[in-house]
Amino acid sequence: MSDNPQPSSTHCGDTSPATPSPNDHLRNLLQLVAQSDRPAFAQLYEATSAKLYGTVLRILKERSRTDDVIQDVYVTIWQKAAQFKASRASPITWMVAIARHSAIDELRRQSRAPHESEDVLSQISADETGAHEHIEHEQDARQLHACLEELEANHQNMVRLAYLDGWSRADLAAYFEQPVNTVKTWLHRALKQLKGCLAS
Amino acid sequence: MTGHDDIDMLAAEYVLGTLEVDERAEAAQRRKHDSNLDAQILAWEARLAPLCNEIQDVAPGPDLLERIERRIAVLETEKDASESSTTQLLGLHRRLRFWRWSTAFASAAALALAIMLVVPFDSTPPQPPFVAVFSQNDQQPAFMLAVDLDNRRLNVQPVTAEPLPDRTYQLWIKSAELGPDPRSVGVLNDDLSLDADALRDYDPDLLKQATFGISIEPPGGSPTGQPTGPAIHGYLYPTDQRGRSQHL
Repeated sequence: MSDNPQPSSTHCGDTSPATPSPNDHLRNLLQLVAQSDRPAFAQLYEATSAKLYGTVLRILKERSRTDDVIQDVYVTIWQKAAQFKASRASPITWMVAIARHSAIDELRRQSRAPHESEDVLSQISADETGAHEHIEHEQDARQLHACLEELEANHQNMVRLAYLDGWSRADLAAYFEQPVNTVKTWLHRALKQLKGCLAS
Repeated sequence: MTGHDDIDMLAAEYVLGTLEVDERAEAAQRRKHDSNLDAQILAWEARLAPLCNEIQDVAPGPDLLERIERRIAVLETEKDASESSTTQLLGLHRRLRFWRWSTAFASAAALALAIMLVVPFDSTPPQPPFVAVFSQNDQQPAFMLAVDLDNRRLNVQPVTAEPLPDRTYQLWIKSAELGPDPRSVGVLNDDLSLDADALRDYDPDLLKQATFGISIEPPGGSPTGQPTGPAIHGYLYPTDQRGRSQHL
C-alpha cells in the first residue's frame, strides 16, 4: 500500500504552486475539460473519482445516494471547469470542495438515520492511523495534524466529525450532550485556534 | 466580535459544513458577489483539505462514468439546440457575409480556398453550390464543406484543421427530420477528404436546412454512433446572390 502510486495524484491540501507533476496534470486536464474535451474529462474522472467517491460515501454512508451525488459533482465539474482558477486553489482541493458541499447539501435535505453507534470516535482515530502513510511527505498535512493535536480532544473530534462525516451542529450537540449554542462556541474556538496555529 | 471575525467564522463553518441550512444557502449565494467571503472560503478549504487524506479512496461502480458522460452529452445537445436558434443563424449569416466580402482583409488563404471550392462546381450550373464554414471559437475556419445539391456531391476541405495523431475527424448531419440525434455522414480520410457521394441518400431540401458538425473521434470514428469528442458546427450557405436572397 505504501508504494501505491495512485493516491499521490489526488492528495488533498497540496496547495504549493511549486509542486510538480500530479497537480499540474490535473490542472492541465481541467483546462482541457473547460474546452469541452471529453477524453480529458474521462482521464480526470479516472484520476480523481476514487477520492471524491470516498469523500461523499463517508458523509452519506449509502452507495446509491453517493452514486447520484457523484454524478451531479462531475457534471458540475464539467460545467464549471472554466471557472477554476489555478492561482486560487489546487485542483483536487477545488474538486473535493464541490464534492463535499454537494454531499452535505444532500445530507441536510434528507438526513439519514440518527447516528446510532458509540464507536464513531474509535473509527476516526483508526482511519487517522492508516492515513499517515499517505501524507507523511506533505508538510501542509503534517502541520494541520500537529495543530489539530493541540486542540482539546472534544474540539478536535468535533472538527473531524463535521468535516469528514458531515455532522451538523445538532448532530454534534446530541452526541456531546451539549446545547447547540455551546457547540457553536466550541467550534468557533477550535477553528480560531486552528487558524492561529497554522499561521504560526 | 468584529465584522472581519464574523466573515471568517462564516467561511470556516461553511467549509466545515456546520452552518444551519438557511445560513448555508445564504453563504453559498453571498460568496458569488462577495469576493472577501469567497476568498475566506477558499482559504479555509485549503487549510482543512489535508483532512480528506484520512478518507479511504473508494472506487465507484464501473458504469458511473458512462452515466455521467450520457448526462453531459444530453446537456451539450441541448446547448447546441438552443444555440442553433435564430440568433445563431443570423450570426452565422453575418459571419458568412464577413467571409464573402472581407475575406481579403482577413485571410488571403481562405479566399483562395473559397475560390478553389467554387470553381469546379461552377462549371455545371444551374444550381449554385452551397458552402458551410466550420469555425472554432469564431476564429479561423477549420473546415469548409461545399455541396452540389443537384448532384448530391460534397467536397470537404480543411482550412486550418490538420490531421491529428491517433484521432480522426467525423462529419455529422443533424436535422429535425432526422430525429433528435446527429447522424454520421462519414469519417474523414487521413488526408481529411471524404467520399464525394456520402450525402447521396439525403434530400436536397433537407440538406439546405440541416446543421453539419465535425467532431474529433478515436481512430475509425465514434464508437457510440454519436459524437463523443469536441464538435464544431456549420450551416450550408449558397455562394451566389440569387441563392442568398432566397435563403435570407
